[in-house]
Amino acid sequence: MSEHHLRIAPTGTPRATILFVPPLFDEANRSRRTLVLAMRALAADGFTTLLPDLPGQNESLIPLEQVDLASWQSALADVAAPIDGPLIIAALRGGALIDHQANAAAWWRLAPVGGASLLRTLMRARVAADREAGLTSSLDSLQAEAATAPLLLAGNKLSPAMIAQLGGAEVQTVAPLRTVTLGSGADAIAGTPLWLRAEPGEDAAMAKAIAADIAAWSTTCGIS
Amino acid sequence: MTEPDTVDATLRALLADVLGLGEDRAAALTEDSGLFGALPEFDSMAVATVLTEMEDRLGILIDDDEIDGEIFETYGNLLAFSLRKVTD
Repeated sequence: MSEHHLRIAPTGTPRATILFVPPLFDEANRSRRTLVLAMRALAADGFTTLLPDLPGQNESLIPLEQVDLASWQSALADVAAPIDGPLIIAALRGGALIDHQANAAAWWRLAPVGGASLLRTLMRARVAADREAGLTSSLDSLQAEAATAPLLLAGNKLSPAMIAQLGGAEVQTVAPLRTVTLGSGADAIAGTPLWLRAEPGEDAAMAKAIAADIAAWSTTCGIS
Repeated sequence: MTEPDTVDATLRALLADVLGLGEDRAAALTEDSGLFGALPEFDSMAVATVLTEMEDRLGILIDDDEIDGEIFETYGNLLAFSLRKVTD
């Protein structure tokens, strides 16, 4: 099934297409506004930009417990396949764990994170919520439970396959790749880690910096 | 990373990032400033995020059984816990 995607395009022939892979789970919601601001800036600079819903997320009709990282990887490959002209894949955080199966002319990653770290945070949120409710759980007991049945973690019902894949997921080698972190220096952009934020926020300056960095990387790769 | 001042600064920056406090509010936190239960932003997801970020930024590992409600009661408690962990 085809999923909804947000598409912001320039008037006239685009320089290239930027396919954004959002962070995973809650982190996607917290980053979305700033990501879309970056898409608008890129469109104003001549790029077509796409932000697809992952199956089981946002407007998708597929239940989250039926998907896993492998199905997200192939869903992104399916989104990328019919795109005309040069394609750059831009992944944020956990999005970098699922961006490598698609074909692209170049990749760009912001603050990539290992799956184990994401899973640990989700499980800890469940332990903390259980504690508030007077229940006792632990990372070990949740891990054992997740071996055989879907587990509800911070509002996300995740399948045993998803939890197993997430626990071992690392970013994969792709080329050409530019990886940037938040901070200062040549391989960093200034900004706030909105994906960690308890309340949604926005960072317009960071959105501009993301757009400028991707556009420069496109030029470096000889794309446009 | 074992200097007390560094741990304090790291912890304030981390809380500013996770709770969206802004530099001023983060700098104004005192030992007695309440966290969990006192700041509306500090929910169970924020607790989880703070723990994972503490591990990453302070280079420590935190076990389940080390965590009790008291750690997140005040900034002073969280700082004392962090200082203990980095010198372990």
